[in-house]
Amino acid sequence: MRRLVQIPEALVGLGILAVLVVMALAAPMLFPGDPLAIKGAPLLPPFQEWSLPLGTDRLGRDVLAELFHGARTSLAVGLAAAAAAIAVGAVIGTLAGFAGGILDETLMRITDAFQTVPSFLLALAFVSVVGPSLTVVVIAIALSAWTGPARVARAEVLSIRERDFVAGARVIGMHPLEIALREVLPNALPPVLALSSVIVASAILIEAALSFLGLGDPNRVTWGGMIAEGRTVLRSAPFLSIVPGIALVLTVLGVYLAGEGVVEGTAVRKGLS
Amino acid sequence: MSDFSLTRRSVLSGAAVLLASTALPTIGWAQEPQKGGRLTVAADSEPRNLNPAIVASNGVFFISSKVVEPLAEADYEGKDGLSPRLAVSWEGSEDGKSVTFKLREGVTWHDGKPFTSADVAFSALQIWKPLQNLGRVVFKDLEAVETPDEHIAVFKFAKPTPFQLIRNALPALTSVVPKHIYENGKIEENPANTAPIGTGPFKFAEHKAGQYYRLEKNTAYWGKSEPYLDEIVYQVLPDRSAAANALEAEEIQLAAFSAVPLADLDRISKVPGLKVVTKGYEGLTYQLVVEINHRRKELADVKVRQAIAHAIDRDFVVKTIFLGYAETATGPVPKNDKQFYTADVPAYAFDVAKANALLDEAGYKAGADGKRFKLKLLPAPYFNETRQFGDYLRQALAAIGIDAELVNNDSAAHMKAVYTDHDFDLAVGPPVFRGDPAISTTILAQSGIPDGVPFSNQGGYKSAAIDAIIAKAAETLDAKARTDLYKEFQKKVVEDLPFINVADWTFISVASDKVGNIADNPRWAVSNWSNTWLAQ
Repeated sequence: MRRLVQIPEALVGLGILAVLVVMALAAPMLFPGDPLAIKGAPLLPPFQEWSLPLGTDRLGRDVLAELFHGARTSLAVGLAAAAAAIAVGAVIGTLAGFAGGILDETLMRITDAFQTVPSFLLALAFVSVVGPSLTVVVIAIALSAWTGPARVARAEVLSIRERDFVAGARVIGMHPLEIALREVLPNALPPVLALSSVIVASAILIEAALSFLGLGDPNRVTWGGMIAEGRTVLRSAPFLSIVPGIALVLTVLGVYLAGEGVVEGTAVRKGLS
Repeated sequence: MSDFSLTRRSVLSGAAVLLASTALPTIGWAQEPQKGGRLTVAADSEPRNLNPAIVASNGVFFISSKVVEPLAEADYEGKDGLSPRLAVSWEGSEDGKSVTFKLREGVTWHDGKPFTSADVAFSALQIWKPLQNLGRVVFKDLEAVETPDEHIAVFKFAKPTPFQLIRNALPALTSVVPKHIYENGKIEENPANTAPIGTGPFKFAEHKAGQYYRLEKNTAYWGKSEPYLDEIVYQVLPDRSAAANALEAEEIQLAAFSAVPLADLDRISKVPGLKVVTKGYEGLTYQLVVEINHRRKELADVKVRQAIAHAIDRDFVVKTIFLGYAETATGPVPKNDKQFYTADVPAYAFDVAKANALLDEAGYKAGADGKRFKLKLLPAPYFNETRQFGDYLRQALAAIGIDAELVNNDSAAHMKAVYTDHDFDLAVGPPVFRGDPAISTTILAQSGIPDGVPFSNQGGYKSAAIDAIIAKAAETLDAKARTDLYKEFQKKVVEDLPFINVADWTFISVASDKVGNIADNPRWAVSNWSNTWLAQ
C-alpha cells in the first residue's frame, strides 16, 4: 500500500475514486429526497443561484443533485457488474481448467460464443428484450464481461492443478469439486482480480451508453441518461451534457489509473522480492 | 468552429443586407412564385408502406400526400373548411344514407390512364372500409358506391351516417388509389404500396433506404401551372439535432413536424435566412393524454382520477415541456377546433391540497412514508415531449403521495403493453384530433373496443351514459344537433375522466426564407404542396 502511494497514477486514480465514493455516500445526506424532483426554473445555467450551483435541466431538476445521485448508480452498476462477471467467470474458468476433457471443451466453446458477440450489442439486445431496470442492466453487462475472467482463470488453473498441494489434496481424499473451489480457485484469483478495473470501467461506460439510448432505468438518475436529456438542448444549454460527461470521463479515468497503479505496484513488489 | 461560422454568417448576412438595400426596387420578386428547383426536406421517420389509403397516418401522408390525393383537402377559408381536390363538389342526402361526389374531369394517373369514378368506388369499398386504420370506423356502414357516370360517385350507406362526419373525414381518409393497379392480387402486398402511383402533383421516383425519398414533378398534373417545384427530396435524418444543423448548413430547406427540437427554436429563429412557422398544422392537433387503466381499483374511483387531474400543472407543462408551443387542454376536443369545442366543462385547477384531500376522501390515506399507493406509468416513446411529461407526471404524482414507477419501452413494446396486454396503470399517449370527434376521439372513451386497437379505450372504462351519447351522435344527421351531442360528450368525459387531457399541441416548421407558400392550409405538411415554390 505504501508503494502504491508512491506511484503517481495510482495516487491520482485513487484520489478520484475516493471523491467519487464520498459523492455516492454523501448523496442521500446532501440531497435528500428524490433527485428527480423539480426544484427551480427550468434550464437555469450553472453558477447563477447559490441553491442550485450547477443549474437545472429542462424540467427544473437540480443538476448537482442529479450528478451526486448519478455517481451512486454508476458506481453501483460498475461494481455489481464487475463482481458478478468475476464471480461467474472465475468459477466457470476454474471448473473448465480443473476438470479438463469434455467439460472444459464445452465451457470454453460457450465462452468463445459469448466472446464473438460484441459486448455492447449483447447488453443492448438483452435489455431491450427483458426491459430496462437496474438489475437487468447489471446482468446484461455481466453477461458480456464474464468471458475475460473465465479465460484468465482457466489458464491459471491449468498450471496450478499440477502443483503438489493439489496432488496432496487429492491424496487425502477431498472431493474434486471441493479441491477446485477451495484449493485452486483462491490461488487462481489474483490475476483475475487484476481484470476488475477494466471491467468496472467498461461497465460504467456500457451503463452510460444504455441510458443514453433510453435503455437505462428511468426511475434513477444516471449520467448517461443526463447526457441524453441534455442532447436535445445541446446548442442552447450545453452544460447539461458537459457536466455529466466530465464526471463520466473522470470516473473511468480514475478507475483505469487506480487499476494500472495496483498492477504496477504489485509488479514493483515482485521485482524487489 | 461554431464561433467562426457565426462570424462568417453574420458577415454574409451583412453583405446580403447591403446588396438588398441597393436592389430595393427588385425585392418584390420574392413574392412572385417561381418555377423549378429542388426542395430538400428533413424526414425523421422512414415508413415502408407509403399507401395513404391503407395507412392514414401523418408519417405516411408527409411523403405520399404529394403523390396520392384525397377527394378534398382542408382549407382555412373554404366552405366547411374544405377545398376540392379529386372531387369538385359533394352533397349529402336528407336521409343520411347517400353522399354524391362530383369528380374532377381530365385527371390522369401517373401511368397515363384516366381517373374515373371506378377508382373511387374501388378505393372506398376495397381499401378505406376494410383495410384503413381510420376508415374502418367512419365507413363501417358503407354498403355500395354507385357510379352512374365516369365522374359521379354515389356512396350508399346501410345506416344513416352524418354528412358532417363524412365531410370532416375527407382530407385524411379519402386518398384515392388506381383500381387498375390494385385490382389484381392482394392489396396489402401490392408493389405500389412502396412506390405509390396517384394523381398528385408529384410522381414517386425512388426510395434509398436510410438515405432519401425522391419525388419528381408530374408534368400532366390537373392543377394549372402546378406544381412549381421540379423535385422534392426527403432526406432521412432520424437524429433531431441533425435537422437544425442541416438547415443552418443549407443542406435542407425545410424541417416540418417539429424536426427541430423546441428548445432549439429560439436560437434558430435568430439565424438569418431561416423562419419559424407555427401555422399549417391546425388540422392535425395532437393531444397529450393520461390514459388510465380502470381495472386498477384505486383508479376506478373517480375521486382518485380527479385528484390526478388536480395534481397536474397544465401551465407548467405547456411552458416547460412544450416551451409555450402548445395549449392547455380543457377536455377531449382541442381549443383550436371551431366546430365542436366547448369551454363549458368542469375545470381542474392545479391544486395539490385539493388533490390530497380528494385522495384522503377516497380512503387512500398516506402511509408513514408519505405514500398512498404505487402505480406503473408508461410514457409513450414517440415524442420527446411525451417522455418528458412522463418524468414530470411522476413528480406531480409524488407530490400527492402516489409513487409512480416509470416503465420505458420502445414503440412496439409500448403498443403491446398498453393496447393489447393492458399491462399499465397510467400511460401517456398522444392521440390525434382529426377534425371530428367520431374519427379518432370518441373511441378513447367508448366501451367494447377489441384488444389491440391503438389509441382507443383499452383501460377497461365503461360508462353507459357516454356510450349512449356516442351511439346517438353516430346516427344524428343534423349537424347542429350532432355538434351539441359532442359538446355533451366533452362535458361528461371531463366530469368522469375516463382519461385526462393535459395539453394540445401542433407542430412547428422551420424553413428557409426561400421557400414560398408554406403553411397555407390547416394540414399543410401533409397536403400536396402543388403551389409551394423555391426562390432561385
